[in-house]
Amino acid sequence: MKTNAAILLVNRNQRNLELLAEFLGKGGYAISTASSLEEFDQALAGEKDVGVALVDITGFDQDIWERCEQLRSKKRPFLVISPRQSVALQQASLSHGARGMMIKPLGVKELIGIIEGMLEEQE
Amino acid sequence: MTTVKKGASSNLASAQVYGDDSSHQNGKERVSSQRLSTGVPGLDEVLCGGLIPQRAYLLRGGPGCGKTTLGMHFLAAGAANEERCLFISLGESEEEIRQNAEAVGFDMSNINFLDLSPNPDFFAHMESYDIFSPAEVEREPITQKIIEQVEALKPQRVFLDAMTQFRFLSPDAFQFRKQVLSFLRFLIEKGATVLFTSEGSESAPDDDLQFMSDGVIHQDFSPDERILSESKFRGSDFRSGRHSMRLTATGMQVFPRLLPEMYKQEFVAESISSGVAELDEMLHGGLERGTISIITGPSGVGKSTLGLQFMKEAAGRGERSVVYLFEEQQETLLRRCEAVNIPIRTMMEHGTLSVVQVEPLQFTPDQFANIVRREVEQQKTSIVMIDSVSGYRLSLRGDDLVTHLHALCKYLQNMGVAVLLINEVEAITGEFRVTEVGISYLADNIVFLRYLEMQGELHKAIGVLKKRLSSFERTVREFEVTRYGLKVGRPLTGLRGILTGKVEWIEQPTRER
Repeated sequence: MKTNAAILLVNRNQRNLELLAEFLGKGGYAISTASSLEEFDQALAGEKDVGVALVDITGFDQDIWERCEQLRSKKRPFLVISPRQSVALQQASLSHGARGMMIKPLGVKELIGIIEGMLEEQE
Repeated sequence: MTTVKKGASSNLASAQVYGDDSSHQNGKERVSSQRLSTGVPGLDEVLCGGLIPQRAYLLRGGPGCGKTTLGMHFLAAGAANEERCLFISLGESEEEIRQNAEAVGFDMSNINFLDLSPNPDFFAHMESYDIFSPAEVEREPITQKIIEQVEALKPQRVFLDAMTQFRFLSPDAFQFRKQVLSFLRFLIEKGATVLFTSEGSESAPDDDLQFMSDGVIHQDFSPDERILSESKFRGSDFRSGRHSMRLTATGMQVFPRLLPEMYKQEFVAESISSGVAELDEMLHGGLERGTISIITGPSGVGKSTLGLQFMKEAAGRGERSVVYLFEEQQETLLRRCEAVNIPIRTMMEHGTLSVVQVEPLQFTPDQFANIVRREVEQQKTSIVMIDSVSGYRLSLRGDDLVTHLHALCKYLQNMGVAVLLINEVEAITGEFRVTEVGISYLADNIVFLRYLEMQGELHKAIGVLKKRLSSFERTVREFEVTRYGLKVGRPLTGLRGILTGKVEWIEQPTRER
């Protein structure tokens, strides 16, 4: 285990969550997942320490930005994952505290590299 | 009598399997001894004996062309030889394939399956994803399953349907190419002969796979016929061209295009007598074996009867003849012949004559040629009559029928068969034309029958227009079909204008016969 802090995965698609958990789990990271705003809220309020978060905005409404603000206020770095390249979405992500926006499909190696960087920063 | 040796002598028995390819080209053996049968009748012949083992072959064609059926033949042939066979499916499920195979009568019990097709959960349980590309997610487990199965089974035959699915598992064209090449090499090193399909179309070309494989078999279909062709076969010759193919309730059958020069048979180019002395006189002996004769004339003049007269005489010598009827009903022909003293039923009973009725649109020219080939090679038939040329053109499906007829006739000629082509000309009288379908160039012999009007009576006349192997009588004689048989009279030397049908006497005749 590289760190005690978990990676919070927010994604409405169950299969996406499974795959992310599978690939990141191989890297030895602790994972917690949320597939709805309620679960996201629970994770933010929960006892488990969230190190970094990956927020896939696909299927969420504007309320997702409010949760992003909460991550920012907790000083938890996070990335927004978007189904398409969009300047508006990128601006919204950055203005709500995201480190950056990644477009699906993600490259596994690239993702792990970025997460590792963010976790090191946290430590 | 002259003895003509055409090419190297061939063994007819072996020609029925694959061996006819080995009997040509100056007797050089071009076929390597070890070949794997594809299990499809006729396809091994196209491949000069079968597939070379431990190679990878591409099978390409649109939907419904028969790729999977060919694959099943390939595996079933292996299983029948107790070889270890593996079906890797990326599209259809094992259950579907087994059901389809059993419906066609394949025994799939000894064939191993690796079913990599998506299961219903993928849809029903929302197993679709978009976070990573399929190349990242699916490639590894699929590759792992294949490796495990191949390592465990060590298959000798692998059929993979369809390789193009792997394209979705590769991030780019370069990696796809590298992965396919490496995958094929892996299978081959494990001792497998691989047949893999591609779903190529204009929008998704599969040229790269064609470059990577050791052989490419194309399957195609048009409204008229299904076609199979080979465009590449490393390390072997193959029979080029478009071969007719059939998918039936019992599987696939290929009818290799007839290449006449591949068949040579030693025979004696002797004349075959008609049994009518005057007619033999006109032909200076008769019609020779290994020649093509066109019997031409208007409707009802006696062309078929004349052809059958040669067969009657041949039957007397114990030789076998075949008539392919494209127009007339068999029963009509039988009755007609019996009425003119040709014992056609007895000949059929004795096996010296076969009358084959060809239904319209039943066959393609390649299929028909294969039927004729079987007849000639298995039954040692010495006279073949096609009744009629226009019936052949109307009944068979496809284009370019004159070329196919040409090839068939040349083949029969090389096999020493006397070919009789019955040709009907539409004009009863008037300007003389040999044929109306442009086939007279084919003929070694042309015998014509004409109607003549003489003193208000309709008469028939017979003449010889061309004979390549001997001289012939240049006069025209009266011709009659009577209940005792054919009658040919003395030369009509006192007439002129016979070929126009409007006959005039040069001098008053003394008619005698």
